[in-house]
Amino acid sequence: MIKFSNVNKWYGEYHALVDIHAEVKKGEVVVVCGPSGSGKSTLIRTVNRLEEIGRGKITFEGQDIHDKHLNLNMFRSRVGFVFQQFNLFPHLSVLDNITLSPIRVRGLKRAEAEHKAITLLTRVGLEGKANAYPPQLSGGQQQRVAIARALAMDPPAMLFDEPTSALDPEMVGEVLSVMKNLAHEGMTMMCVTHEMGFAREVADRVWFMDAGQILETGTPDDFFSKPQHPRAQRFLSDLHAH
Amino acid sequence: MYAILRDNWTLLLIGQYPYGPLGGLALTVLLSLSALVIAFPLSILVALARISPLRALSAPATAWVYTVRGIPLLMVVFWVYFLVPALTGYPVTGFMTMLCALVIYDAAYLGEVIRAGIEALPKGQTEAARALGLSYLGTIRAVILPQALYNVVPSMVTQLVSTIKETSLGYIINVQEISFAADQINNRLLTKPFPIYLILALSYFALCYALTQFAHYLERRVTRKRRGVLTKGKPGIGALASAPMPVDN
Repeated sequence: MIKFSNVNKWYGEYHALVDIHAEVKKGEVVVVCGPSGSGKSTLIRTVNRLEEIGRGKITFEGQDIHDKHLNLNMFRSRVGFVFQQFNLFPHLSVLDNITLSPIRVRGLKRAEAEHKAITLLTRVGLEGKANAYPPQLSGGQQQRVAIARALAMDPPAMLFDEPTSALDPEMVGEVLSVMKNLAHEGMTMMCVTHEMGFAREVADRVWFMDAGQILETGTPDDFFSKPQHPRAQRFLSDLHAH
Repeated sequence: MYAILRDNWTLLLIGQYPYGPLGGLALTVLLSLSALVIAFPLSILVALARISPLRALSAPATAWVYTVRGIPLLMVVFWVYFLVPALTGYPVTGFMTMLCALVIYDAAYLGEVIRAGIEALPKGQTEAARALGLSYLGTIRAVILPQALYNVVPSMVTQLVSTIKETSLGYIINVQEISFAADQINNRLLTKPFPIYLILALSYFALCYALTQFAHYLERRVTRKRRGVLTKGKPGIGALASAPMPVDN
């Protein structure tokens, strides 16, 4: 579904992504973890070209995403992306946040888009908030709206960039439970997260990154119980120390 | 003062119209509004060009802004006054001269105000819009400008008010706006400069104050709407949690 081949990225002299070879298969939930500054967010942002790469190739459903003939906006509309800071549009109601892209990019009729938005809001447990504005919602609610907004385009895959890192602890659960439901429905997901409980429970595979490289990949069981790479061992023991 | 007003109110209000050219307060208002209506969309273009990564766009916009910011409006007026007829070979009316000068000037200043508004928005807003598949222009239109313009309303009002006052410079190139009218009256009466210029000052003040109040009214309306109190005639947010879902709005 999402395939990285020899992906490299530089910020000036700094080598941010180093020879990434990896694949997220259809229906798979991949959790990307690692210390901060390891390139996790950069990696996930290359998939919908919020970050361009220096060298290599990324394919999405077999399509080279750097193909000159690719309609970038249409392509992006098919990749659900959820940000750490939610990034809802504060001047639009929850409903308009969700329907903006279906109406403008896909040309859906307003009534149709709104009907769908309400269905999605129900799915994330916020059916009563369609006319609210983002600043009136809690962080957890905003992030659930952001997930609904991404789902409104029927994306074949969802990308999550630290979706719970900006939340108060008591709100992490509600967002994770929406994500778990998605995973159980068979959504292909790539999540950058520090929620190791979520990784253990939901992930099919864990990718461990440091210094721009994927150092280890494995099932959550293998990764958490017997990590191979010394850096991964240290990372996990640091986590357990808290 | 009352007598001055009684004898000259038409001159102050509309100049010699309908027996001569439109003037007075009406011309002041017409001049400022026309300048703003033309300068406002231009200023958005200036702002967008200034933040553009394309040098072909950012360089001329930056040059425009720096030039205009570095010279007094009076210079711009003189330039247009002498240069445009020389270049085009056609005489240009005082009104058109003043309009051009104000547009050149205000587009640059408003452009900087709008640019500040755009750049103050979190980068995530653009990223989120682009990630949803919106084009660059779609993002600007649906996500960036509605927020940026709203956030800079106070600065824009300041700029609009100063435009009204700047129209008084038309006086030196014989644009018969309200300052010109007041000066005419003063020249005729000779002994009453204080009440005449007091009337002039009060007229400007009333005009600017009314505009400021109107802008505040608009601002409050938008604020209320965005707090959800005024959603297209729907009940306020208090009622939203329990209200049944309106599917079509």
